[in-house]
Amino acid sequence: MFVQQLINGLALGSIYALIALGYTLVYGILLMVNFAHSEIFMLGAFFALGALSLSWVSGLPAFMQLLLALLLAMFASAVTGALIERVAYKPLRHASRLAPLISAIGVSIFLQNLVFLFVTNQSVPFPRIVPLWHLELGNSQISSLQILVIAVSFLLMGFLRFFIQKTSLGKAMRATAGDRMMAEFSGIPTERIISLAFLIGGALGGAAALLNGMYYGSIKYNMGFLVGIKAFTAAVLGGIGNVTGAVLGGLLIGILESLGAGYIPGGSEWKDIFSFAVLILVLLVRPEGLLGERVSEKV
Amino acid sequence: MNIKSRAILISLSFAGFLVSCSPQEEVYRLALAVPLTGDIAAMGLGMKRGADLAVEEVNKQGRFGRVIELKAFDDRADPKEAVNVANQIVSDNNIAAVIGHFNSGCSIPAAQVYARKDLLMITPGATNPKLTLQQLEPAWKWNKVIFRVNTTDDVQGQFSANFLFKKFKLKSVAIVHDKTPYGQGLAEEFKKQFETNGGTVLSFDGISVGDKDFKALITRIKTRRPQALFFGGIYNEGGLLIRQARELGLNSAFLSGDALQTNEFLKLAGESAEGSYITNVGVPPEKIPSAQAFLEKFKAKYPGVDIQPYDHYSYEATMIALLALEKAGITQGSKDFNRLKMIEFMKALRYDGVLGQTEFDEKGDTKNKAITVYKVQSGKFIPQDF
Repeated sequence: MFVQQLINGLALGSIYALIALGYTLVYGILLMVNFAHSEIFMLGAFFALGALSLSWVSGLPAFMQLLLALLLAMFASAVTGALIERVAYKPLRHASRLAPLISAIGVSIFLQNLVFLFVTNQSVPFPRIVPLWHLELGNSQISSLQILVIAVSFLLMGFLRFFIQKTSLGKAMRATAGDRMMAEFSGIPTERIISLAFLIGGALGGAAALLNGMYYGSIKYNMGFLVGIKAFTAAVLGGIGNVTGAVLGGLLIGILESLGAGYIPGGSEWKDIFSFAVLILVLLVRPEGLLGERVSEKV
Repeated sequence: MNIKSRAILISLSFAGFLVSCSPQEEVYRLALAVPLTGDIAAMGLGMKRGADLAVEEVNKQGRFGRVIELKAFDDRADPKEAVNVANQIVSDNNIAAVIGHFNSGCSIPAAQVYARKDLLMITPGATNPKLTLQQLEPAWKWNKVIFRVNTTDDVQGQFSANFLFKKFKLKSVAIVHDKTPYGQGLAEEFKKQFETNGGTVLSFDGISVGDKDFKALITRIKTRRPQALFFGGIYNEGGLLIRQARELGLNSAFLSGDALQTNEFLKLAGESAEGSYITNVGVPPEKIPSAQAFLEKFKAKYPGVDIQPYDHYSYEATMIALLALEKAGITQGSKDFNRLKMIEFMKALRYDGVLGQTEFDEKGDTKNKAITVYKVQSGKFIPQDF
C-alpha cells in the first residue's frame, strides 16, 4: 500500500507543484502573493473544457485533442494572468505592498462570481480524453491518468527550469528577481519581465487545470480555492520565490496528504491539517522555507 | 431638539410607516427556504419548481380571496446563512408558513427561529431525525411547529443495512461520510443496523465537503477488501468517490442515500455509477397513481427539465401549508391569520396527495415510512424490489 499511496501522492503533488510555480514566479519578482492565481487555474479548467467542446477539436484523435486542449488552456490562462497583472496590479506598482494584495483578493472574488453567475454554479463533468488503463507494479498499480499527470507536469517543469537557467530571457528574469532597479539600469525591460512571469505562471496554471479536470472528472467555479491554498502552502514550504522549492513543496504536500489519509486511522477527516501542520513546523525551524534564501529586508 | 430625540422620532415614524403599510398588502405569502445557489443548487432549484407549481395551481383555483405569493430564500446549504434567512422570514408578518429547509444542518437551527414566532415549518427534504426530536427536549420552550413530509435517516439507514445484508448476504462494509448532520447521521444509522444484523464494519471515515481527492482513502479501504462501500453524503463527493474507487479498482458494491438520486450524480460519476444502489425516501412518483397528474403538470410547465428527487415533496409540502392556511389560518373578515390554529390543524391532518397518504406523528414526522431502492442501469435509476 505504501507504493500505491506514494503514486497517489505524486500525482496529486504534481498538480500542486505546477500551481505553486505560478505563485512563486510572481513572488520572486514582485514580492507579492498573487491570490488571483487560484482563479486563473479555475478559469483554465473552463478554457480547457471549452476547447474540448469545440466541434473541430472533438473529432480529432485523443492525442491531438489532448495537445490542443493543453495548448489552448495554457495560452488562454497565460493571457488571463497577464491581463490581470495589467489591470489590477500594474497601476498599484508604487503603492504600499498591501494594495496589490487586496486588489488580488478582489480579482479572485470577482472571477469566481463571474463564473458562478454567467457560466454555471454546478459541477461540470470533464472528459477523460485518454483511455483508462492500469500498469501493475507489484501490489500497486498506476493508472494512465496518473502517468499522464506526472509526465506532463515534469515535462513542463523541466522546460521551465531550462528556460530560467539557460536562456537569456531566463537570465533577465533572474536578474529582475535579484534586484529590479539594478536590472533596469542594465537595460532589462523589467515591466515586460514582470508580464512574462505572469504569462508563464498562468500557462502552468492552465496546464494544471486541464490535468486536474481529467484526473478528477469534474470542474466547478470554486475548485481553485482549496487547491490554491495548498499550492500556496507548497510554495511557502519550499521557500517562496524559489522555483525548485515550489516543485519540492508541491510534491511533499501531495505525498504527505496521501500518506496521512492512507495510514492514520480517520486520517481522511484531517487530511487538510497535515499539510498545514508540516508548514508550521518547517517555518518554525526554517522561516525562509526548505530551499529559500535568507534575505535581509529590502529597503 | 437634540440628536437623540430626533433619532427616536425618526425611528418611531419609520416604525409607524411599517405598521401602517404591511397589512394593506393583498397577498398571503409562503416562504421557500432552500439552497438556490452553491454546491447543491440543483436540488433546491428543483424544489422551487415543485413549490411554484403548487402555488400556481392554487392561485388558478382561486381558493383564497387574495393572491398567494411564494417568496424564495436562498440558504446556500449553509447553516449560518439558514439562520439569517430564518430571521428575515419571521420579520415578514405576511408569511404564513415556511417550506424548508433542505439540509438537515440548516433545518435544525433555523427551526428554532420559526418556533419562537409560532411559524409553521414544513420541511420537504431534511432527513436527520434530530430535526423533529429536538422539540421533545426540555430545552424546547416553544410550540411544536416542525413538520416533515419525508422519511428520516434512521429508517433509510436501517433499510440500506437490511437490504445489503438480507438481499445480497453481504457481511462486510466500508463506510464513508461527509461529516454533515445528514451524511454522518445516515452513515451512523446504517452502521448501527448493519452491526445489529451481525455484519462487520471495516472502516468508518469522514471526508470534507468540497474535497476532490479521495484516492488515499480508497487505497486504504481497498486493502481491507470490503464487500460493499456505503457513502453518506451528497452527490458532488459521492460522484467523485465512486469514480475514483472504480479507477483504483475497488469493485465492491456501492450503496448510498437519497442525496445521490439525481442526474448530477450520474453526470459526475459517468460510467462508474453503473450498478450503484441508491435508496430514497418514499415511493417513486411514477408508482403512485395520485402523482401521475403532478408528473404531467410538471412536464407541461417545465419541458425538458429533469425532475429532481425532492420536487414532489416540496409540491406536497406547499399544498399542505396552503391547506392549513385555508382551513385554519384565515378567519373570515379578518386580514390576519392565526398561526397557532395552523399548527393545531397540522396535528390532526390526514392528507391524500402525490406522496400517498400523509399523517403526522407526535413529533411531526410523517407516518409514511416507505423507502425505495434504485439501481443505476444504463444511466437511469431503476426502482428495485425488496
